[in-house]
Amino acid sequence: MKVHYTINGEKKIFEIKPGEVLLDVLRRNGYSEVKGNCYMGTCGACTVLIDGVPHTSCTILAAKVDNKSITTIKGVGTLQHPHPLQKAFVEKGAVQCGFCTPGAILSAYALLKENPNPTDEEIKKALDGNVCRCTGYVQQVEAVKFSIKLLKEEK
Amino acid sequence: MLKLKNVRQCFMPDSLQEAVDILRDSQGKAAIVGGGLDITVFPRPYIEKLIFLDKLHLNYIKEKNSEIRVGATVTITDMERSLLIKNYLRGRVKEILGEVASQLLRNQITIGGSIARGHPYSDIIPLVYALRGRIVLSDGKDDEELLIDDFYRENFRELLKNKIVTEIRLKKYDDSYRFGMKRFVRNATDIPLLNVALLIKVEKNIIKDASISLGSRPGIAYRFIKGEEFLKGKKITKELAEDFQEFTEENVDVGGDARLSKTYRKHLAGVYSKNILLNLMEV
Ligand SMILES: Cc1cc2nc3c(=O)[nH]c(=O)nc-3n(C[C@H](O)[C@H](O)[C@H](O)COP(=O)(O)OP(=O)(O)OC[C@H]3O[C@@H](n4cnc5c(N)ncnc54)[C@H](O)[C@@H]3O)c2cc1C
Repeated sequence: MKVHYTINGEKKIFEIKPGEVLLDVLRRNGYSEVKGNCYMGTCGACTVLIDGVPHTSCTILAAKVDNKSITTIKGVGTLQHPHPLQKAFVEKGAVQCGFCTPGAILSAYALLKENPNPTDEEIKKALDGNVCRCTGYVQQVEAVKFSIKLLKEEK
Repeated sequence: MLKLKNVRQCFMPDSLQEAVDILRDSQGKAAIVGGGLDITVFPRPYIEKLIFLDKLHLNYIKEKNSEIRVGATVTITDMERSLLIKNYLRGRVKEILGEVASQLLRNQITIGGSIARGHPYSDIIPLVYALRGRIVLSDGKDDEELLIDDFYRENFRELLKNKIVTEIRLKKYDDSYRFGMKRFVRNATDIPLLNVALLIKVEKNIIKDASISLGSRPGIAYRFIKGEEFLKGKKITKELAEDFQEFTEENVDVGGDARLSKTYRKHLAGVYSKNILLNLMEV
């Protein structure tokens, strides 16, 4: 069957198997920035935004997302034009192996869109499904707070 | 990794009638998709058709006839953020919804999918039990409304072979009611090892009515009627909370499993029941 997605602003049509999850469709079509790991919704490495809401793409049926808009980490910022959140994650040491980083940044990005001045508790809650085994989370919270400062400076 | 290998067709019906017709005609080989979390994580090999509810306009939370009506495809996040839930039972329901699983999973899990799946470790089921919620089912033409007790007392899986959960109805409670819930988990994405929900009506410090449910027992959640009877008519005090712990430990129907022994789960049930009651004293 065919599905229509808008990925990072670009319209796409993909052929999928009816029982496939979104993660597999994205990776097969070259979106390797979306990381696959647990296939149970428990690690958050595969996080993408669907119509702006963070989801684990390993547990979302690809057919359910037909006609929706998907944002991967490359839709947030690129190497050439990083988003303040990406700069802040690097600056504050919130990146080590990097496997969880796209997911964590996408969760933080969705949070800041909705709530530009979150408390520490709100940041922790927004990122509670993005498991990181390197940095220990403190740096991630620091990075999100630092990105708020960068975003304000950018305005 | 293709987990749902045998799925051959997806349907996006425009009406409940169409959805129920496909479900009924598929004779057990079709699955309704709410959020799809359970369907993708625990795939059933006999499923050949998926029926999505996304076009059926079941994503609403509204107030009608002194009830909060929650459409089946509302996610935990939608419900947590709803203005109708914000001050419901002094914000305690909102609080507990925000603790379920992780943010990413709360964005996916639907209320209808939680009720229909009937997982022993669901947080939604004991919550709806304690709030004396009612489940609305549709056969495509008519609605049937069942108290949650009756839904699970009947063979709900049999009911769902040709019916769809469309709505959950929660009574609005006046200020004399107090609600609390606790869930025991090791981390955000861990399933609960025990959850306890308690609703009491207090007038002049006397408990006039009580509704208690425990889940992750490890069986499916149930109403702790003996506990409700124990509390009714008593003055809410610290001593009562202590006695309630002891009573719960002796009378609660919980078992053991690989994750928690029966003795520990009984003790935990007692401690949680006491602590919820102590918190409710301070309201
Ligand atoms: C990693 C993980 C952690 C979890 N943690 C928690 C937790 O902390 N607390 C908690 O409460 N739960 C937790 N769950 C369980 C989760 O809530 C259930 O799996 C729930 O059923 C998912 O909801 P859904 O809408 O995605 O269901 P789906 O996967 O869409 O459906 C579940 C079942 O219900 C049927 N169904 C769905 N909607 C309807 C409907 N409207 N009418 C009739 N049938 C329907 C489906 O056919 C299927 O059989 C967890 C699950 C996972 C995988």
